[in-house]
Amino acid sequence: MSTFALDQIQAQLPQALSERYQDRTGAEWGVVKREHLVATMKLLKEKLGFRLFISMDAVDRLHLPPAEQDPRFEVLYFVKNIERNEHMRLKVRVNEGEDIDTIKGVYQGADWAERFVWDFYGVRFTGGSNRRILMYEEFKGHPLRKDYPLRGRQGLIPERAIKDIYRGPGTNGVQD
Amino acid sequence: MSDEKKPAEAPKPAPPPGPPPPKNPGFVTFTVDGREVVARPGVNMIDAARTVGADIPYYCYHPRLTIAANCRMCMVESSAAPPGKLVPACQTAPTEGVVIKTNTEKVRAQQKMVMEFLLLNHPVDCSICDQAGECKLQDYYMRYDFQPSRLEGPKVLRNKRKVLGDTVVLDQERCVLCTRCVRFMAEVAKAPQLGVFGRGSHEVVDVAPEYGKLESNYSGNIVDICPVGALLSRDFRFRARAWFLSAAPSVCTGCSRGCNTVADFMGQDVYRYRPRENEAINKSWMCDRGRLSYKSLNTHRVPQAVLGRGADAKEAHPAEAIKYAAMKLKPLLGSVAFLASPVASNEDLLAGFAFARDVLKTSTVYVGGRPDGDSDFFLMQADKNPNRKGLEWIARAFGLAVQPFDALTKAMDAGQVKALFALGHEVPQADDDWAARTEKLELFVLSATNESKATRPAHVVLPAATHVEDEGTFTQADGITQRFRRAFPPRGEARPHWKWVADLAKELGHDLGVASSREVFKKLSPSVPELASFEWDKKAPMNQTRPGISTMAAASDGRPPGWREQGVPNLRGLTIP
Amino acid sequence: MSDTYDPTPANEELEAHLQTRNMVLNLGPSHPATHGTVRLRLELDGETIVKMDPEIGYLHRGFQKSCENVTWMQALPYTDRLDYVASLTNNFGFLSAIEHLMGLEIPERAKYIRVVGAELHRIASHLTTAAALGLELGGFTAFLYGVEARELIIDRVTELTGARLTTNYGRIGGLNRDLPPGWAEKVLKSLVKIEELAGEVDGLLSRNRIFTDRTKGTGVITKDDALDFGFTGPCLRACGVNYDVRKATPYWVYDRLDWEVPVGVNGDNFDRYYMRILEIQQSIKIIRQALEQMPEGPVILDDWRIVLPPKDEVYGSIEGVIAHFKLVMEGVPVPAGEVYHSTESANGELGWYLRSDGSGRPYKVHVRAPGFQILSGMQRLCEGRMLADLVPTFDTINMIGGEVEQ
Repeated sequence: MSTFALDQIQAQLPQALSERYQDRTGAEWGVVKREHLVATMKLLKEKLGFRLFISMDAVDRLHLPPAEQDPRFEVLYFVKNIERNEHMRLKVRVNEGEDIDTIKGVYQGADWAERFVWDFYGVRFTGGSNRRILMYEEFKGHPLRKDYPLRGRQGLIPERAIKDIYRGPGTNGVQD
Repeated sequence: MSDEKKPAEAPKPAPPPGPPPPKNPGFVTFTVDGREVVARPGVNMIDAARTVGADIPYYCYHPRLTIAANCRMCMVESSAAPPGKLVPACQTAPTEGVVIKTNTEKVRAQQKMVMEFLLLNHPVDCSICDQAGECKLQDYYMRYDFQPSRLEGPKVLRNKRKVLGDTVVLDQERCVLCTRCVRFMAEVAKAPQLGVFGRGSHEVVDVAPEYGKLESNYSGNIVDICPVGALLSRDFRFRARAWFLSAAPSVCTGCSRGCNTVADFMGQDVYRYRPRENEAINKSWMCDRGRLSYKSLNTHRVPQAVLGRGADAKEAHPAEAIKYAAMKLKPLLGSVAFLASPVASNEDLLAGFAFARDVLKTSTVYVGGRPDGDSDFFLMQADKNPNRKGLEWIARAFGLAVQPFDALTKAMDAGQVKALFALGHEVPQADDDWAARTEKLELFVLSATNESKATRPAHVVLPAATHVEDEGTFTQADGITQRFRRAFPPRGEARPHWKWVADLAKELGHDLGVASSREVFKKLSPSVPELASFEWDKKAPMNQTRPGISTMAAASDGRPPGWREQGVPNLRGLTIP
Repeated sequence: MSDTYDPTPANEELEAHLQTRNMVLNLGPSHPATHGTVRLRLELDGETIVKMDPEIGYLHRGFQKSCENVTWMQALPYTDRLDYVASLTNNFGFLSAIEHLMGLEIPERAKYIRVVGAELHRIASHLTTAAALGLELGGFTAFLYGVEARELIIDRVTELTGARLTTNYGRIGGLNRDLPPGWAEKVLKSLVKIEELAGEVDGLLSRNRIFTDRTKGTGVITKDDALDFGFTGPCLRACGVNYDVRKATPYWVYDRLDWEVPVGVNGDNFDRYYMRILEIQQSIKIIRQALEQMPEGPVILDDWRIVLPPKDEVYGSIEGVIAHFKLVMEGVPVPAGEVYHSTESANGELGWYLRSDGSGRPYKVHVRAPGFQILSGMQRLCEGRMLADLVPTFDTINMIGGEVEQ
């Protein structure tokens, strides 16, 4: 597996990577410090050619072996360099209450992915949308956290008020 | 013969090298799978290897029984063994500098061979076997064998339903002849009634003919230690599949010994008790009498508050019951006798005695509880109440005089007791006499877990939760205080005793200010010297042990396990965010 | 306002000035032109879309949470419901990722069958997209041809898997059953018909003036934006980026087959549509080669720690029943670890981040649904454009509610 990108990050942003390792399949992973994430992403996109945004997600490590539980969340970033055919796997580890800088200014596609992470794990992104995406705004809690009960059903929410009887639901220019 | 003729100057043969000096004096130092282990001399290889994470499989070995080394599953390679031979890890104490390998080609071949032989005549029973899901044959097959059967021809047939005694039935076909049961009966239960009979393929475990029947108060333990599904509990057999049960660490309430148990439950029913290891109290065992004491948690429970007696009795909502009881108690305050049961937990009694002292204004508590029974040489105590010690401690600390039950009956007969508040329905004589006595009372308020003759004459019956339905502590006969964990929310309208008492106290104008059994303990125990230093939170056993396979989400569910099969049980008392 | 509803506008309202502020329009969540149940909140200035805010989640089923609470194999049926138009690609993609995590090499024949299955469903998905585009622009005929061809594929898939849509086909280590006898010949026969019908769709639409007027130059996205938003699959290739997971990191047997990746130029609706027409032809080519090269042999590994034993062993031997019991009750023990693995589904890169803690259940199943990233770029495709162009754009990005909303 190619280690080009991680080597470059290590060379150009030596303080950004806190750890790099190979998983069992030989793929390279880098753990980025949260304060250097945006710089790393900028470097990847603008200098190293990782222009294709693949996806983002998070892992709640609450039920992993105790040695792996802290920090609690692992936010995953996947980007790709098509020309070099290299896949970049990055992680940022944060505890609850620690925000990550948004990268939606670097990759526009990260906006929705960050919303997903906020929605399901409650990891906030400074400067990001921090809006729910799949769950509804009235939902309480973050369902993919391991301590959210499997069948934690929540009650029905009242129908939102209809403001304009002629034009149907919608704001009709009035801000919610 | 020609020694004398040898020249005197011939070099003396060097003395054989003695054992190497111990690397760590007082300990043996040896190597397991390349990792160095320092252990006490005499420790066997299985236990030693476990300290470095090497898992040696075994069937016949049990740390509390003598070594038989007959299953041959634990064979490992040792540098001290004769060349080309394996040694049984359970039987061999490693010596200084020895090198043990638990995962070589040869060891794996041995494990595979043993598994194949053990399964050769094993019936195809997993789907009807109670042990399925917590069976060592299954675990080890997937780990060490995973091959198809090579058996051609029929399996040897033996007795599939050999009733050994009142508690145990034996399936001889499933037996792997590890003789754990034989050794247990001889060594721990001191009743050597089991033996191995026959030879070769027809070898079976059976009761020795001179006994005819397995008769021991500890025979249930052989079901637990049987590594396969051969010995089965007649009580538990065919009642539940192991992987649907969840387990809560609990304490047996059968007698004042306080054996540590695991209560296996599904929905809101307890299905069995299993002993939980505690070196100081019950080792790994428990008695059959205690094992069956779970039944009272399921049957003849008081489901709802009942107000009035006889024909006027009607079921009532808890809030209504509290109001009614308070209304009835109010004019009688100061003349209400308080009867406490030593079956209730420390938390119940702390709240109960605070109520007796501060609200009922009594200075005496009468002690009810179950009548004494028989005891035996090992675990079972004559006192059948799990918390008499705790009751005495708390009463003393609260400045309440403890009077026996007889004193209460005498006082009642003399007409000195007009009204009675009973915490717990257990009384030494739950007979018609007691019923007749209580019928004469002006007011009888009773907080009871189970229905009995004693509950019928009560004016107010408050349904109480059992110990598996709440967190709490018991203090056993030797003064050891033990925590038990809540398995599921109380059945029906039941609430813990302390909760009833606290609500009543509040209704009568005295707020105890407690909302959970933890708060009861934290708030009221500091005045009890024996309980003050008990670390209620830290002493709680981990509530995560499950028998067999868990089909539940990894404890994240927050629901009483078992709902998958039972539907969602009554969820009162559970908060879901 | 009075309590009773009076449909006649009040006088003052009739005489009021024409409203010049932007109008807010709801498209969906239930609208024939929104393929899934998606609500698009549009702010319109006349017919121009000023702002667009897709609100998704109406089809959210808790895919990840469900997967975390069942065994690895029990999670497979959930993957059917992701891209339900091409469920085999999801099934095989998920299994591939697990096998990657476990380090398993599946039998040759299984690899070929997976290629055939995935390509069949790719054709089905592309046909649905292309033909429905015609339908939504007013041409019903093309839709009928497309659906007839898709029906042929679904019939073949039914013969193979036993289900029309929710296939649940494949197991860790290979496939749960081999091809039915004579199936390959049937597929080859069907392919002739499918080729013909796809040609009809192509002929009816691709050079149709009304169709091209509506699709060419509408819904344009630049190459840079497409990459930035994470477009993959036909939507990315329409912008001129030659990226296909099957070529970039060949899995199964794609590297042994002779086929090409069609690449577009303009990144508009027409190119996205035409990519699909061309890919149908490539997929047909792939299937023909795969069926020809397919070797005989087992379709699943023979290891009772991973694969269920044959039924007669389960019923007849203790070894079989134990293996069956443990695999069903505890699940396949996937060793602890993590992996990101991707395959090319009909809509683009279908990626899986799987994490195992060593038990029989997944610790985390992240699915990188291609549609999710594409839908997130929907705003860029529509804002500043006409409302009428939204309908074809929404079709060519082929939003599948199942995979986007998990």
